[in-house]
Amino acid sequence: MTKLNLDIIGGLLLVVAGLALPFAGADYLMGIAFNLAMWIALTQSWSILSAMTGYVSLGHVVFCGIGSYVFILTNGTLPMPAALACAGLAAAVMALVIGLPVLRVRGPYFVILTFGLAELAKNVIVQIETSLGQFSRLIFDAPALDTLYFIMFGLAVASTAAAVLVRHSKLGRGLVAIRENEEAAEAIGVPVTRLKLISFVAAAIIPGIVGGVLLLRTSYFEAAQAFDPVISFSIVTMAIVGGMGTVRGPILGSLAFVLLSELLWARFPQLYMIILGALLILFILFMPRGLSGLFERREVRR
Amino acid sequence: MSTQLLFAALVAGSLYALVALGLNLVYGTLRLLNIAHGDLVMIGAYVAFWMLSILGMPPVFSLFAAAALCGGFGWLIYVGIFRKLLSTPALARRLEANSLILFYGVSVILQNGVSLAFTSTARGYQYLNEVHRFAGVAASGNRLMLLGVALVLCLGMLLFLRFHLFGWSLRAVIERRDAAAVVGVDVDRVQMATICTGFAIAGVAGVLVSMTEQITPFMGFPFTIAAFVVIVLGGLGNIFAGIVAGFALGFIETFGIAATSATYRSILIYGLFVAVLLLRPQGLFGKAIQAR
Repeated sequence: MTKLNLDIIGGLLLVVAGLALPFAGADYLMGIAFNLAMWIALTQSWSILSAMTGYVSLGHVVFCGIGSYVFILTNGTLPMPAALACAGLAAAVMALVIGLPVLRVRGPYFVILTFGLAELAKNVIVQIETSLGQFSRLIFDAPALDTLYFIMFGLAVASTAAAVLVRHSKLGRGLVAIRENEEAAEAIGVPVTRLKLISFVAAAIIPGIVGGVLLLRTSYFEAAQAFDPVISFSIVTMAIVGGMGTVRGPILGSLAFVLLSELLWARFPQLYMIILGALLILFILFMPRGLSGLFERREVRR
Repeated sequence: MSTQLLFAALVAGSLYALVALGLNLVYGTLRLLNIAHGDLVMIGAYVAFWMLSILGMPPVFSLFAAAALCGGFGWLIYVGIFRKLLSTPALARRLEANSLILFYGVSVILQNGVSLAFTSTARGYQYLNEVHRFAGVAASGNRLMLLGVALVLCLGMLLFLRFHLFGWSLRAVIERRDAAAVVGVDVDRVQMATICTGFAIAGVAGVLVSMTEQITPFMGFPFTIAAFVVIVLGGLGNIFAGIVAGFALGFIETFGIAATSATYRSILIYGLFVAVLLLRPQGLFGKAIQAR
């Protein structure tokens, strides 16, 4: 009970800090917070499928990319909020369409399949854009940074809330059963196919919208960048470093990486990547429960 | 069908078969999905470049140096990390699930380490680039050498697996690891030898690649992808089918591009990859090993 209370208090503090931040009036700080909110939104949404069911997706960026593309096509014709909704919807529809065949594939095959699918989608969109004679599309009427920040912050909160809800619902228990033993789950009557599909679609909506908002921040669309596989890898890295077992994990993981990238990325990009790689290896080998595992151990000791 | 195109397909296919052979051996015996495999190819390419430009030694010698360096790296990470982890079933299972992400870390370190040490400038050198003509084919010496070395290594590995006792042990570990241990196969020794061989083959492939194209610290990733396509086509862990699939990919790619345009290369490769995984995850040629 005390643990739950601590989590709620911590969560509320984070929300209050997040809402108050724009009034500090520092654009630099808000830029960092925008990135932090983006990674939390992406990693939490990823965890709804991958951490819960053990179907580790290495192609989560595909939903961002589709969201970005649909957003750039509809923005202008539709008002911005409607275009963002279209972006999320498009990602969900895509998940629904590819979900059934893709979720039949398991284990290491699923990991490389999701990666391959994201790259295939990237190359198809690049090809479409090239044949249309478009090399990058610009956005001219992007809202100010604080508006974008609030949207992204809302997405991070929504994504975290969704992760909490799924974890404490019947759906979540079904998903965990799939992770532990899919055959046994199916045998005792868990509708595995339906549950997997639901979580796949649920995991796709937020990154679709994130793709649109990210576009407003960078103000131009370029297919190879919107589908950058490094985003997928970063999501998995953050989830592993933060810890896959809890809702806290993605938040801690995102926080660690955003701080590290602020310290190192601009001046020593290669060193940053090397440290990132080394951390990833160390956490997988020696701290499989991630940063949030540190908390748990302390609680047990007490 | 032009013979020139046939030759190009054969060269591309032999390279794919060779790169995928190393990846497949390591996955088959250790169940590790080495996404840093292409980066070992890159390391091999840099060995060849520096040995020629500093020591003046031609790639014929760097073939051995690259094999030793990459094989040594394999030995180091096996003894340092994997031996202990793979000996406990529970840890081994966790490792298999995370091996792809783990090797992504290795890949990032290799790419950025090389880029930090030698800058990311593209480099290249000229070696055996005189053109030989026969039977309507114009072939540069370095491509002939690539084809020859790759064919010898692939065939040699197949013969070794077919006729040598240690080759049998290796196949036994690929097919039924537990059963192999029961009948007295030294699984640890097989695993160590395989990871060294697999990594060494990647290094050799890198030397061969460096003779025909420019090298950069980030050149490895396309090779990783091609190798994954190949071993998925052949079925993970199926060595012979993997070699056949390597040549198949070379032909599909070369003739596919000739029929359309070079811009479709990525769509072709990834399309094939996704289609095979969705329709026949056990590979085109029958049974693949079960994931644990």
